Amino acid sequence: MSHPEHIAADQEHEGQYDVHAHISPVGFYVFILGTLMILTLLTVGVSYIHLGRLNLVVAVVIASIKAALVVTFFMHLKYDNKFNALILVVTLLFIGVFFAYVMNDTEHRAEIDLEQGGKILPATGAEAPGGFEHHHAPFRAKPAGDGHEPSHDAPAHH
Amino acid sequence: MSSADATASAGHDDAHGGGHDHPKFLQHQFDTPAQQFDAAKIGMWAFLGQELLFFSGLFVAYGIFRSWYPEMFSQASHQLNRVMGAGNTIVLLFSSLTAALAVRSAQTGNKAATSRFLLITIGCAFIFLIVKYFEYVHKFEAGLLPAHYFHPHRDHLVPGTAVPDNAGSFFAIYFMMTGVHGVHVLVGIGVLIWMWRRNERGEFSAKYFTPIDLVALYWHLVDLVWIYLFPLLYLID
Repeated sequence: MSHPEHIAADQEHEGQYDVHAHISPVGFYVFILGTLMILTLLTVGVSYIHLGRLNLVVAVVIASIKAALVVTFFMHLKYDNKFNALILVVTLLFIGVFFAYVMNDTEHRAEIDLEQGGKILPATGAEAPGGFEHHHAPFRAKPAGDGHEPSHDAPAHH
Repeated sequence: MSSADATASAGHDDAHGGGHDHPKFLQHQFDTPAQQFDAAKIGMWAFLGQELLFFSGLFVAYGIFRSWYPEMFSQASHQLNRVMGAGNTIVLLFSSLTAALAVRSAQTGNKAATSRFLLITIGCAFIFLIVKYFEYVHKFEAGLLPAHYFHPHRDHLVPGTAVPDNAGSFFAIYFMMTGVHGVHVLVGIGVLIWMWRRNERGEFSAKYFTPIDLVALYWHLVDLVWIYLFPLLYLID
């Protein structure tokens, strides 16, 4: 805590070297939260509508709008030193590069590998895109109200 | 703590006089509070950028496996509890508001309100982890575990659903992503409690609130990651 003489000295400077942070009204922050909540409900609602691949796109777009609201207002980037925003943008750019190269490789590697006679799993000869094979039937939930059906496709409990 | 040392040396500098006094919080390597504030914020944003890059590895792994096994991801995600996931989303969003309001209170010099908002934020973090605990317990009981630990019990699966035998990779990604995120929540609780204690000791004022600002930035990042995790893990189709 400052002593009285410090306060007086501070007032002489009258803040030209002080931190000048933008202070948003409480109501504005609450409004941002309300928007975030509505977008959350929206993303839950949209997930019940079957749009195929578009479901993923919509989910990521809504999440990105929410993220933009958080960084812009809750994290003060709108009123902050623009260099901080630059750090974030460059980070996102590199994440984009990371995604683009890896996804391009995983999704299209097989096209080239097949032409070259290459395989993802040389041991088994499985074709790309690789990973692992199905060996068993899916594990099904026990039907409701049926306690005696033999569970041949479930693994032994340990 | 370095700021305490800096305070001591700033005290010596004051003896030189010359009308150039140093506030207690101003470390000797900085000329002005504004310069110190900007430097701290740039450092924090560089750290947050690193955090995002760190998490991006997990998101890329998610992208690879989802593009290989879209149906498996869809079926496996039906074993997650949407209500708990959505509830936790609301809790984290609300805690982001209270973190922002804690910074605002510090900026306006309202010490009591700062403490109150920090405590609410900490409370939300605990609620989040408790909900997460119940989710994890269900996954353990149902044998929905990563990779080769995956051994589902039909008694514990969501009725009317089936999980493919390769869904262990979904749960490996689920546990890694939510686990690493959960560790961030734990760290967040730690630093928020630290801020609350320092605020109670009266270290912050309208002229010096940098640490609370930085911790709030970290907390918003934890929220930010969850904003993506929730739809990507819980709301697949």
